[in-house]
Amino acid sequence: MSNEILEKLADVVVKGKIKEAKPLAEEALAAGIDAKTIIFDSLSKAMAVVGEKYESKQYFLPQVLLAAQTMYQALDVALPKLEVDANAVPGKVVLAVVEGDVHDIGKNIVKAMLTGAGLTIFDLGRDVPVKNIVEKAKAEDAQIVAASTLMTPTLASMKEIERMLAEENLKGKMKTIIGGGATSKEFAAQIGTDGWAYDAVEAVQVVQNLLK
Amino acid sequence: MNGGISTTPKERFIAALKGEKLDRPAVGCVTQSVTVDQMEAVGAFWPEAHSDANQMALLGAAGYEVFGFENARIPFCLTVEAEAFGCTVDLGKVDRTPMVKKHLYAAEDTPVFPEGFLEKGRVKTVIEATKLLKQKYGDKLPIVVGTTGPLTIAGHLVGTENLLLMMITDPEAVHKFIKVAAELEKQYLKALVAAGADVIAMSDPSASTDMLSGEMFDEFAKPYTKIAWEGAEGAIKILHICGDTTILLDHMIDTGADALSIEEKVNPAKAVELVAGRAALVGNMGVVRPLLQGTPEECVQHALEIKAAGFNVVAPGCGLAARVPKANIEAMVKTVKG
Ligand code: B12
Ligand SMILES: [Zn+2]
Repeated sequence: MSNEILEKLADVVVKGKIKEAKPLAEEALAAGIDAKTIIFDSLSKAMAVVGEKYESKQYFLPQVLLAAQTMYQALDVALPKLEVDANAVPGKVVLAVVEGDVHDIGKNIVKAMLTGAGLTIFDLGRDVPVKNIVEKAKAEDAQIVAASTLMTPTLASMKEIERMLAEENLKGKMKTIIGGGATSKEFAAQIGTDGWAYDAVEAVQVVQNLLK
Repeated sequence: MNGGISTTPKERFIAALKGEKLDRPAVGCVTQSVTVDQMEAVGAFWPEAHSDANQMALLGAAGYEVFGFENARIPFCLTVEAEAFGCTVDLGKVDRTPMVKKHLYAAEDTPVFPEGFLEKGRVKTVIEATKLLKQKYGDKLPIVVGTTGPLTIAGHLVGTENLLLMMITDPEAVHKFIKVAAELEKQYLKALVAAGADVIAMSDPSASTDMLSGEMFDEFAKPYTKIAWEGAEGAIKILHICGDTTILLDHMIDTGADALSIEEKVNPAKAVELVAGRAALVGNMGVVRPLLQGTPEECVQHALEIKAAGFNVVAPGCGLAARVPKANIEAMVKTVKG
C-alpha cells in the first residue's frame, strides 16, 4: 500500500502533473508514511529519473522544470513533517549556489536530503557572493559550508571559498563540501575541499562523516 | 578573390562567410571576443567599456590589434536588448560579463515595446561604437556586431525558467513575449546595418538543445528568428546557438542564416558533412577546453582538426572567458594563418 502511493507520487513528479502532487503527498502522510521516506524514496528518486530522461533526450528543459515544480509542491507538504532522526549527529550547514549561477534545483534537493538527515540548513539561495557565504557561516558558527555550481565559469568561486576560510584561519574548523555538475572529485581534491558528493544521497553520507 | 594580390582580412572573412573557396579559412571570433590581456593592451576595460562607445570600439578592434583576428567584434554581452526593455542589468567586473538581474513581467502581463529605444542607453552605445569602428577600420576589417536572439530576450523578459515552463502550461503567452522581442530585434538590426555592421552574429543560447527539442525550436525560435533577420538585409547573418547542435543544424539553416556558429560539442567533420555547403561554418574551438584550461599544443591540435574538417572560419565555439590565456589564442591564430 505505502509503496503504491510512493510510486504514484514519483510518477506524478516525473510526468509533471503539478496539481496532483500536494493531495498525494498529504495522502501519503495520512497513510502513515513518514516524511523522510517520501523525500528519499519517492521525490528524490523521481528527480533522478527525470535527470536520466533529460540525459537521453526523452525530456527537454520545459519537462525538467515542470517536474521540479511538481516536486516542490510535494516537498512543501513533507518538509514541515520531518522528524529529526534521534541518532543523527546535529550540525549546522550553510548552503548556497555560488555567484553567477542560478541553477538551484539540485541544491534544493540536497537541502531536502540534509534536512531529512537532521541537520539545520541555512539556505542562502542562488547567485550568492563568496563573501556572503563565509560571513553567514561565521555568524551562525556553522560546521559545514556547502556550495553548488553547475557551470564551469563559476568554479573559481569554489576556490575562493577555500582561500577566504584559510585567510580567516577557519580551514579545518569549518568543513567544506562542494557539488553540482561542473565539479568533480578531482577538482575538489585539487582546490582542497573537505568533501565532494556526486548526488544528494551521497551528500548526506559525506556530511555525516565530516561531522564525526 | 584575386590570386597573388594580398587580400585584406575583411575580404577574406567575408568571402569565407559566403562559403567561397580559399587557400585557408579565416580566423577570428564572432562571439564574445575580449580577454583581460586585450583590455590591458589597448587600455580599455570592463565594465566601463559596456557603456562607453569609444572604449567599446577600442576593445572591438583589440582582437585584431593584439591577436590578429580577421574581424572586429562588439559588444561583449547578451544583455543590451533586455536592458532596452527595462530589465535591470549587473554590468559585472573586469573579468565577469554582464548578467540580467531581474526579469520584468509575469506570464499574464502584456509586454510594452520600448518606443525610441534606438536613441537610448547601451543600444545607442553599440550603434555609436559600430560607426566608430566603421570609420577607423571600415576598409580593413569586417565589423561584426553581436546581438541576442528573440527567444533568449523573451527569457530575460519573463524569466527563462518561466518561459520554458510556459511552453507546456501556456504556449500562447510564450508567443506573446517572443513576438515583441523579435520586433525589437528587427528594428535594432536595421539600425546596426545602417551604422555600418557588415555582419550580424545573433546568439540564442536559450534555444539550445539543452533547453529545447527540434520541434520546440521550430515552434518557438525559428519563426521569430526569421522576423528578426528581416532587419539584417545588406549584412551577413550568423546564427550562434550553444551546446550540441548536431540535430539542430538543419533547423538553424532554415532560419535563413548565411553562416552557423557552433560549439565544440559538435564533431567538426560531422558538421561539415551535415551542412554540406548550405551555410558557412564558424567555430568550433572549445572555449573551456582547450582555450581556457588547455595548453597551446592542445589549441594547435584542435585548430588543425577544425581547419582540416573544412570550417570556413576557425573561431572560438562560444564566447571567450575573459581569462583565456594569451598563448592559447595566439596558438589558434597562428595555426590557421600558417
Ligand atoms: C535546468 C537547467 C537550467 C535552468 C535552471 C533552473 C533552476 N532553477 O535551477 C535554466 C533554464 C534557468 C538554465 C539556465 C542556464 N543554463 Co542551464 N541547465 C539546466 C540543466 C538542463 C539541468 C540542471 C538540473 O537542474 N539538473 C537536475 C538536478 C537535480 O541535478 P544537479 O543540479 O546536477 O544536482 C545534483 C548533483 O549535482 C548534486 N549537487 C548539486 N549541488 C550540490 C551541492 C553540494 C554541496 C553537493 C554535495 C551536491 C550537489 O546533487 C544534486 C541532486 O542529486 C543543465 C544540464 C545538466 N546536464 O546538468 C543545464 C546546464 C547546467 N546549463 C548550462 C548553461 C550554459 C546555462 C545558461 C548559461 C544558458 C543560457 N542560455 O542562458 C543559463 C545560465 C544562467 C546562469 N547564469 O546561471 C550548462 C552549463 C555549462 C557549463 N559547464 O558551464 C549546462 C550543463 C547545459 C549544457 N550542457 O550546456 N539552465
Ligand atoms: Zn554559445
